[in-house]
Amino acid sequence: METVLSIQGLTKNFGKLCAVNSINLEVKRGQVFGMLGPNGSGKTTTLGMLMGVVNPTAGSFSWFGQPPTHQLRKKIGAVLEHPIFYPYLSGQKNLELMAMIKEAPVSNIPKVLELVELADRKNDKYKTYSLGMKQRLAIASALLNDPIVLILDEPTNGLDPMGIAEIREIIKRIASDGKTIILASHLLDEVQKVCSHFAILRKGTLVHSGPVDDVGKGEEKVEVIAFHDDIALLLERFDGTISVKKEDQQFVVKMKEGFHSQDLNRYLFEKGIVATHLLTQKKSLEKQFLEILAEAEHAALIKN
Amino acid sequence: MLHLLKIDLKKLIDYRTFWIICGLYFFTLILGAASGMEFLKWLGRTIEGFGQNININRIPLYHFPDIWQNLAWSAGLLKLGIAIMVVISITNEFTYRTIRQNVIDGLSREQFLISKMLTNLLLSAVSMVLVFLIAVVTGLIYSPVFDYPYGFTGIAFYPAYFLEVFAFLSFALMLGVLLQRSGLTIVLLLNSYLIELIIKENIDNYIPGVVPFFPLESIMNLVPLPFARYAFQEIRDYVTFGSIAIALVWTFLFNYFAYLKLKKSDI
Repeated sequence: METVLSIQGLTKNFGKLCAVNSINLEVKRGQVFGMLGPNGSGKTTTLGMLMGVVNPTAGSFSWFGQPPTHQLRKKIGAVLEHPIFYPYLSGQKNLELMAMIKEAPVSNIPKVLELVELADRKNDKYKTYSLGMKQRLAIASALLNDPIVLILDEPTNGLDPMGIAEIREIIKRIASDGKTIILASHLLDEVQKVCSHFAILRKGTLVHSGPVDDVGKGEEKVEVIAFHDDIALLLERFDGTISVKKEDQQFVVKMKEGFHSQDLNRYLFEKGIVATHLLTQKKSLEKQFLEILAEAEHAALIKN
Repeated sequence: MLHLLKIDLKKLIDYRTFWIICGLYFFTLILGAASGMEFLKWLGRTIEGFGQNININRIPLYHFPDIWQNLAWSAGLLKLGIAIMVVISITNEFTYRTIRQNVIDGLSREQFLISKMLTNLLLSAVSMVLVFLIAVVTGLIYSPVFDYPYGFTGIAFYPAYFLEVFAFLSFALMLGVLLQRSGLTIVLLLNSYLIELIIKENIDNYIPGVVPFFPLESIMNLVPLPFARYAFQEIRDYVTFGSIAIALVWTFLFNYFAYLKLKKSDI
């Protein structure tokens, strides 16, 4: 697969503070790439360097295998942090100005305004827009030049649930067109719902990167409720069991690799027990994220 | 190049403050030109004996060729008005952070600066043409005769006035890029003459002859004060090569400093 973005040892220091510490990363065509990390972990600084507004202290990166130039940036649609527009210009005029800078055809403007459902407010001044409308205009501006890559930084920040759902729909629609999307967010749910790959930053260091589908692989946990006196003992004796934990009235069985819920079900059935509740716990990205961060924290503590 | 100018004009053309300030500037220019004679009459009334020493009506304030330098110098005072507009235009980009979005969208930092410089050039050119037209009109109204080629003496002050405005706008642009805050920049812009005056007055004792090389001094020197000639004093009524050269060097430096600052800072 074609590499869209390749980062080698990218570093940014603000005085003594190391905001981004020697990051290596690759994004391939068609990926929806989520950048996760707590606030202040260096996501926006990294994106700022990729878009030429922050000068890197060290390291390099290339877009489409070429060293970065301003000409290349015209083919990338990006919104960093919050929407930025001229407040005294209307949405339409703001987009016209951007089309001039990006050398995009003006005929794209109605299309993108339609996509984000702002066509009926296009002649109002930007400063009169609500936050949700500002975010949507930002997405429209990023799509103005039919970009090959779309960079969105916290696109749902500060939106109400309906606004979040709307933006998510828009992102999914764009992704289904085969566009590469880089999405920075601290909303894990969002990343899990729309992303194909993700990376986690912590204090400027890359601590994990991989496909979202890998989340939840490995050992399984199965919730069991069955009304039998020796259920705890029987579960312990099952070949696939690593450990059994009682939570309220249900048992959570941690399974060895290669064992699944159906194996446990069959085992119980053979023992003459019918479970009333049997459920494989899905490992959420949130859990994985917290685990990875905790591990990184731990590693950092040991190192010091 | 034209594309970059269009980009910057697009930002200004729907900006009401821009039109208000430009309108005020040109309105003051016309009003100032029209009221010169009235001002002299007022002087004659207020200052005892003013009219006796010099006959007001015999002062050829608006006659060709005096009008050229008189008006170019007077208009030079008002360049502060457009300079404030330039400061607002550049510092807005920092307060709204639109410079950041411009760069993200694919403008290089140099291109961004060039787009601002091109607007400065355009404003200077428009200003020069306007002052020239006012000079022609008032000259035709007041001059009893126009004798060619004597009537054109001093017309070289118009290109000099153009450089004067452009140099000062470059100075304003540089201050805006360095300070990034409109209030602070305007205050410093207004005070820069006083600051330079204090330095000039004190340094002359130590390093004689250095004064004409000061930035604002060099801008003022392009079109020297003409009115002393009506008090029978000697004035310089021609443009000197030296003053042009010094002002050109400063203009280059102002824009170059702005470029350096933009180049190395995170925006």
